[in-house]
Amino acid sequence: MNKRPNILFINTDQHAWDAISAYGNPYLRTPNIDELHRNGTSFHRSFCTDPVCAAARSSWATGLYTSETGVPFNGGYLHPEIPDLGQLLNAGGYKAFHCGKWHVPGRNVRESFRTLYYGQQDIGAGGAAYYDSASTHAVADFLTNYDSDEPFYLQIGFVDPHDVCEYLHNHEEKHIPNPLEQGIVSEDDLPPLPENFDYDERETVLHRVCRRVDDALIHAAILKGIRDWDEFHWRYLRWNYYRFIEKVDAEIGRVLALLRETSRHHNTLIIFSADHGEACGSHQMFQKFTLYEESVRVPFIVACLGEEIPVEKDRFNETHFVSGVDLFPTVCDYAGIDVPEEVQGLSIRPLAEGRDAPWRDYAYIESNYWGRAIVTDQYKYVTEYKPTFNSNSGVEDFYPPGPDVEQLGLAQLFDRQNDPGEMENLVGNPTYNEVVKICKNKLFAQEARLHRQQIVHPSPRRVISNWGGRLRTYWQMEDSH
Amino acid sequence: MNDSNSLHWSFDYNYGAQNPQFAQELIGTLRGYDPEAGTRSTQTGQTLTHVYNVLPNYWRGYNRGGNAETLSIGTAVIERSKRDNLWYYSVEYENTTSGENLRMQFCCSDENYRPLRDNWSVDARNSADDEYAQWACAGYFTSDSEVRLRINGAEIVAGTVDVSVELTCNWALFDVIPMLARTIQAADDGIDIAVLEDLEQLRLKGRLGFLESTLTPIRLEGYYLYGAGLLPSYWWLDAHGDIAIASTFFETLVLREKMGDRV
Repeated sequence: MNKRPNILFINTDQHAWDAISAYGNPYLRTPNIDELHRNGTSFHRSFCTDPVCAAARSSWATGLYTSETGVPFNGGYLHPEIPDLGQLLNAGGYKAFHCGKWHVPGRNVRESFRTLYYGQQDIGAGGAAYYDSASTHAVADFLTNYDSDEPFYLQIGFVDPHDVCEYLHNHEEKHIPNPLEQGIVSEDDLPPLPENFDYDERETVLHRVCRRVDDALIHAAILKGIRDWDEFHWRYLRWNYYRFIEKVDAEIGRVLALLRETSRHHNTLIIFSADHGEACGSHQMFQKFTLYEESVRVPFIVACLGEEIPVEKDRFNETHFVSGVDLFPTVCDYAGIDVPEEVQGLSIRPLAEGRDAPWRDYAYIESNYWGRAIVTDQYKYVTEYKPTFNSNSGVEDFYPPGPDVEQLGLAQLFDRQNDPGEMENLVGNPTYNEVVKICKNKLFAQEARLHRQQIVHPSPRRVISNWGGRLRTYWQMEDSH
Repeated sequence: MNDSNSLHWSFDYNYGAQNPQFAQELIGTLRGYDPEAGTRSTQTGQTLTHVYNVLPNYWRGYNRGGNAETLSIGTAVIERSKRDNLWYYSVEYENTTSGENLRMQFCCSDENYRPLRDNWSVDARNSADDEYAQWACAGYFTSDSEVRLRINGAEIVAGTVDVSVELTCNWALFDVIPMLARTIQAADDGIDIAVLEDLEQLRLKGRLGFLESTLTPIRLEGYYLYGAGLLPSYWWLDAHGDIAIASTFFETLVLREKMGDRV
């Protein structure tokens, strides 16, 4: 590589790791993401930092975990003093462009990047049907006109398959016949129910209060609307989800085709990932917001369509745990820009080149402010902090919790090797007490390295107060049992 | 006109922040549409025009804090006229949420499937305050049945279409469905159709089928389109042979005005 490369970060939204045909999924066709895989390395053990849009994206933008960024859920606000990737790249001699979905509240994308396209109404949570095609048009215009000698960084935020959320909202207040009653598709057209459609009810309180109970904190109206779903409704959800992915795959295809056509592909590094996954019926769950595999595991591909950037091609990396915090240092590494000391992520560059590098032996994930998970070779440990008040002041202090053994609530432990569907919670089985202890130590060690900051913006404070109040009520019930 | 708010599920987005405005605007738009006022004796060469009001299906079209006067997020105008056994289409699609306005021009053979013919063009303009201002694309078929798109001097292949495939543009479906209505109804599993969506995206494995009829808000026959890469969309044909409602995944087009008639 003679000069600094162009860098293209293509991201989709709510894209579960296995929803790619090159990875063996027979229920959809993604020829263009498949092409990226053939021209690069796919990371098998790739996890988001937090399974919700804004939180995960705040990690992409900063290289920090979400209890550090100020965005531990969709209503957070990025702490103003934290530098973002656009600012660093611009200062480091790159032209940094953004196109499509950003969704990092508290940071004006137009101040950190040159925006190719961000919608007449700024792109928010969803709306792929409006925005994705326009984003592709903007990128096409950019690729066919860019004539600067400076390398570019371009991040394209496609919204699909996030519109599956709108598919779900559509069921909130009306009855839609199952697809067989509609007469539109046959049973043979539909993917089967996931093997882990059932679930172990011994879940954390946070999980149940956020996603299971009738008055769930997150999207209770959808939950109510789908209570009477039959098998075919669930299978049709999966069928539709895959169509959303095929749509966004086609958009990616046009971007890649134009990149080739403009001959920029030889010196353009492409990173493809998604902010979080989609449950799509696993554990009778929908959307994200949980720490189950389908919600937190995401694609991560490092590729080059040409030959100038050394990237191992058509290869799966099944060894290294990759996290959303790694995007920032990886881009900086390729761009030749120093990474701020506080950044938690690691550069994936040596791994993409087939070299070894000192690496973490787990993935660390946060969820809904109080939720935590550690993923290791063999196990996944999920736990939660109880929403306690500050021991001195007796009021909420708005510091993201951890590491604090006294504050831990319930936990789930899954044997990833023998129970990949996460169907049996092993916590409480004495055989696994030592495993739980090891996982807990990893969790606390990781959290000790975080620079957790007090949430100061009134809007996320309100969320923490409201959610905390509801959770305390449930904890009182849990404790009384 | 039936004022009941119990719209058919395929175009009922009258809930949440859109209740009752969605139903009111849908029914009000259809009520304002008077097919008898249109010219009913079009001669060859004259133009047939349908104007659709675009209503958002979800979350008030992501119009957060925006104009609350109307739910409408845009307009779609489909014009076509016949010359020398070809139908010449001009479609304008304006969307105030995305800020992108599309102008598409294409022609089709004078057959029920409206097969797409060389050449076509798309002109897009973005009114949002970003670097992307406009974009133009021209498309054509090669002798090898490739669909090629020229974009600012670059040329890409959108896909390959077998000669046996009936390929049309999604905007021509406003004519294809009325003309094939009886054929579709007679076919148990619908009929195959390939679509070049917005003249850019090739969807080769589409299927058009008959859904059912409804009397709300007017007498309508429903048809569906789905397939690989295609979310199901629903097309409702009125007694005058016009698509009165077309509900795609994210928006519902409601017939507002018609000028001219099919030859």
